Amino acid sequence: MYYPYFIAYMASGFVISLVIFFWALNKGQFNNQQRARFLALESHAAAGPIKLSRKGRLHAVILLIMASAGLVTSMIAVTLIVLNLVG
Amino acid sequence: MDRMEESLQNNNPTAKAFTLTSAAWFALATSFGMIAAGYLIAPDFMANIEFIHFGRARPMHVNAVLFGFVTPGLLAAAFYFIPRLLRTELYSHKLGVFNAIFWNITVLSGMIGISFGYTQGREYAELPWPVDIMVVISFTLVVINLLLTVRNRVEPILYVSIWYGMAAVILTACTYCIGNVIWKPDTGALVGIPDAILLWFYGHNIFGLLLTPLALAAAYYVLPIETRSPLYSHTLSLIGFWSLIVVYTHIGTHHLLQVPVPTWLKTISIVDSIAMVIPVMVVLINLWLTVKGKLGAIHASIPAKFIFTGTIFYFFVNIQGSMMALPVVQRITHFNNWVVGHAHIGVFGFAGVTALGALYFILPRITNKPLYSKFLADLQYWLVLIGITGFAIVLTIVGLIQGNAWYNGETLYRTLPEIQPYYVLRASLGAFIMIGAYLGLYNIIRTLYFNRGAST
Ligand code: HEM
Ligand code: HEM
Repeated sequence: MYYPYFIAYMASGFVISLVIFFWALNKGQFNNQQRARFLALESHAAAGPIKLSRKGRLHAVILLIMASAGLVTSMIAVTLIVLNLVG
Repeated sequence: MDRMEESLQNNNPTAKAFTLTSAAWFALATSFGMIAAGYLIAPDFMANIEFIHFGRARPMHVNAVLFGFVTPGLLAAAFYFIPRLLRTELYSHKLGVFNAIFWNITVLSGMIGISFGYTQGREYAELPWPVDIMVVISFTLVVINLLLTVRNRVEPILYVSIWYGMAAVILTACTYCIGNVIWKPDTGALVGIPDAILLWFYGHNIFGLLLTPLALAAAYYVLPIETRSPLYSHTLSLIGFWSLIVVYTHIGTHHLLQVPVPTWLKTISIVDSIAMVIPVMVVLINLWLTVKGKLGAIHASIPAKFIFTGTIFYFFVNIQGSMMALPVVQRITHFNNWVVGHAHIGVFGFAGVTALGALYFILPRITNKPLYSKFLADLQYWLVLIGITGFAIVLTIVGLIQGNAWYNGETLYRTLPEIQPYYVLRASLGAFIMIGAYLGLYNIIRTLYFNRGAST
């Protein structure tokens, strides 16, 4: 019988998460969320202005096209599989 | 910049050591990948060299990318941003550098062990027992160093990257022991079905609770800085974190949907795989709204470009993953190259590419000099992007051919010649990635040690 071990394993993970969650709640980790948004930016000395370029925009467009092509292709593939198996 | 910030910026030998580790293993790991890809084209390729035949080159490749390249790359970034976000120093750089050296000895021992045939033969848990122990020690050292840094913090609030980073290393230190059954040194395994279940609890945790949170931690740190925008919502980011912890921890059984494991476990894993859409979309909506209107800025910055690309692959791999967890889809996609495609999109397209971006982000900051060559980094970006997109397409097509052939009861000898050209294509695309890895290694070594560029 191995179920009890797995259930104990999953349950202990859940309990530990709960303990940490309530620790964080009590420590006020979830209070000042507006300030928290800026923590990454504040951890850095102000960086210079961003240099934009046409090449940069071209990169962005090519990337977007590649990503959408990938997504559309796999959507089609999965739809065909499902139609094939169900139909 | 005040004095403390300056000292934080100047000296980070730990991040440097992990950066070099990652770059070097990236080059080696892709070389092992090329060898494995070669065997799939021509099975007698390098015949009789037993140390690197397919059965050994494959686990060497997989373990080297996981434990040599991606994890140390993301850890290098964590050793940089965790102290900064907490406005303190890393607890101990001596420990950090020792940790990096020990880490390399560990991965190297694993490689040598596997190449001599010492393997435990369970996927992602191949490393022999003594090396397992070394991996656990390595992670424990990381946990000690980072936890004590968190305890010494000046900034009381833990930014989301810290939650993700800490969870990743602590959970892995625990699940690695359990998943590798380290209390049974002789086999490193339980017996029968329980072993498969345990292995995949662990296996999926490596992607979901090590690579994913470490990579998201880096993305949450780098993207706001590189686009000069505050995070869209910190609350949302914490919701994403907690839902990931709740949902991701027990979806491992979706690797075993075709196996006689208890139905309730399968059901939990399928439901949670679909539920993964929540933590994933929460993260992505948050990050994408943070950088909204800043696409130009992203592509003007090498680190942001890598990491933003990583987020797109993250979107892709998760949507794909949720669909693959449906039994009806998996009937075709299981046990073939579709899954290998998914694995490369996730481990490389998302986590690996994010690690590269994170390395390029910290490099000028830990050396106080500009990157040795922006051109080389840009070239690497394109080589990697073409390589991984090509992998995704080619491996998915091969997977569909294999899956359908199997489903329709076709014999193997008819399918093999059909898929050969795709294997040739995959190896050619692999060459792009491998060349990118070596260029990156050169660029990183030059930046770290032989960079005459003016100090910033
Ligand atoms: C919503 C999130 C995800 C879901 C639901 C998911 C689902 C799946 C499923 C169902 C499989 C098993 C496929 C089969 O054997 O038929 C799988 C395999 C795999 N996944 Fe994911 N995935 C997700 C995200 C990721 C991410 C983010 C990564 C990488 C960082 C990743 C890496 C892998 C790898 C490496 C394998 C191959 C395992 C093997 O060797 O068999 N996955 N995934
Ligand atoms: C030169 C580039 C690469 C080549 C030629 C290559 C080739 C391969 C080959 C041949 C396999 C075995 C597939 C099989 O058994 O059919 C494999 C598996 C794998 N590779 Fe790569 N690879 C490359 C780069 C990478 C990178 C950079 C990563 C991650 C950062 C990666 C992650 C993986 C993973 C996780 C698996 C296990 C997949 C599974 O079991 O489903 N690879 N690779």
